[in-house]
Amino acid sequence: MIEIDVQLPLDRFNLRVNCKSEATAIAILGPSGGGKTSLLEVIAGLRKGTADRIVLDGEVLADAPQKISLRPEFRRVGYVPQDSLLFPHLDVQANVRFGQKRNGPEEVRRFDEAVEMLEIGPLLSRRPYSLSGGERQRVALARALATAPRLLLLDEPLAALDVELKDRILPYLLRVRATRTRMLYVTHNAGEAIAVADEAIVIREGCIHAKGPPRQVLTLNALTSMDPEVRFDNVLDGTISARDDEEGTALFCPTRGAPVVVTASPDLVPGASATFTVSADDVLVATQRLDCVSARNVVQARITMVEHHDREVLLHADASGYEWTVKITRGAARALGLTERAEGRPVWLAIKTHAFRRSR
Amino acid sequence: MLTGEELSILWLTLRIAAVSTVAILPFGTAAAWLLSRWKGPGRGVVETVFSLPLVLPPTAVGLLLLQLFAKSGLLGRALDAIGVEVVFTWKAVVIASSVMSFPLLVRPLSTAFEEVDPRLNAVARTLGRGPFDVFARVTLPLSWRGLVTGALLAFSRALGEFGATILLAGSIPGRTQTLALAIFQKTETGHDREAMRLSALTVLIAFALMWTTGLVMSRRTRRLRS
Repeated sequence: MIEIDVQLPLDRFNLRVNCKSEATAIAILGPSGGGKTSLLEVIAGLRKGTADRIVLDGEVLADAPQKISLRPEFRRVGYVPQDSLLFPHLDVQANVRFGQKRNGPEEVRRFDEAVEMLEIGPLLSRRPYSLSGGERQRVALARALATAPRLLLLDEPLAALDVELKDRILPYLLRVRATRTRMLYVTHNAGEAIAVADEAIVIREGCIHAKGPPRQVLTLNALTSMDPEVRFDNVLDGTISARDDEEGTALFCPTRGAPVVVTASPDLVPGASATFTVSADDVLVATQRLDCVSARNVVQARITMVEHHDREVLLHADASGYEWTVKITRGAARALGLTERAEGRPVWLAIKTHAFRRSR
Repeated sequence: MLTGEELSILWLTLRIAAVSTVAILPFGTAAAWLLSRWKGPGRGVVETVFSLPLVLPPTAVGLLLLQLFAKSGLLGRALDAIGVEVVFTWKAVVIASSVMSFPLLVRPLSTAFEEVDPRLNAVARTLGRGPFDVFARVTLPLSWRGLVTGALLAFSRALGEFGATILLAGSIPGRTQTLALAIFQKTETGHDREAMRLSALTVLIAFALMWTTGLVMSRRTRRLRS
């Protein structure tokens, strides 16, 4: 359980966040400059608010009325900032070991685990300046994990929106999540938040605008008006079950949902784990069964929600346990008769193999 | 070849400069760190006080130090009570050199500390390291060129110190007479050739030191640009 009650005067507004959560992974979304980074800094103990109260699993990290404020080094809260902030005078290995005061078996095990989980073994002898943006993020995440934090604070860089997909940290976050490490994750990608988090918080101008299960909270209307950078990607994590070299395709079985056909790359061998994302813009929707279509993936789904917003409509459709997000124009929605009352209607989703972009 | 007397003067000068540089390192580092982090009111006053030896006539500094360390002076009385004599000893040369070279250590080091991103220190704290640990493992290693530059400048200044030293320590051959003082004494007593030899020696040492400082500083500039 994490309890956060933070009040911090910022330049344009006051940050006032008051919430409790049992969730293991919490995603924080909202427009840039809305106070998300400041909130993480207060929780990490790097900034002091006017009336903070932060309690983590019963332990008080800060309580202004009782004049308690644990120093950052005693909080055991790992912080991965937007720009990674690796120590430039140390190589990757020394960066990851930085928070380990001893070199006992437990520390060695944690180091090895972090290096393996983040796949940074080949980078250990390199200096931060020689790493790509995504590699730096992975090293910063490994550095935080190596200290066995009780809470992980991740501030995804805005620039990550422009980072090549293979460089994104998302697949590694899914691995961290699997270890049940509690984390607060700032992102601009609603699809990623849905894939990673059990709970989502939307912050606007310093206040909680919405809080709850990601599927309910991260709606088009709630996000688009306040965060123009928000993306709605479908994230699928799973394993490759078969490969067809003649066709140049592979069969990918997500942990949720039906198997799909993706473009094969040399390392996509049966048994390999992979994470794919499909932009909500890249999914076609039909209200009748599609028989003659070039897309290799046609899945039957049932509409669970329809959101109308200005010129766009966001459809949520459940297909064998995976909820797809599809973005279409208002005109297309009108032509297909997909109004708010369309919930429960069967539809067919068509996704080309090339629309599956691999992030790991 | 250097004569025995010249070697003795050179050796004393180098020892005095080294001791005074080492002596001011902890204080200079603390002062530089304080200046780099202190943004509140009063910072300007402290910075000016630290820089005073750069602009004051060295003889004025020497006179102030003499007032302080004379047996009737504030510190001199206390030191005399525990049997420590300063004035006209090698200690006086070290004190005069230290005071005069102090700002030359503090300035580049303070700038180097300011160039270290404070958020690096903040992240280091979240990784479980205390403030002193963070200073030793992050701030200081990232400022080492500033430290080396400051120490070289302070050492060079100590080598050439004259005005404050002659007032506080006199010019006693074999005890307090450094290169600068020896050149003055040789000229005063008409030994121009010996004075010229010592001057040439100081030129050589100063050139080597300034060359090294320049090398360190240019590498630092290149690193910052990259």
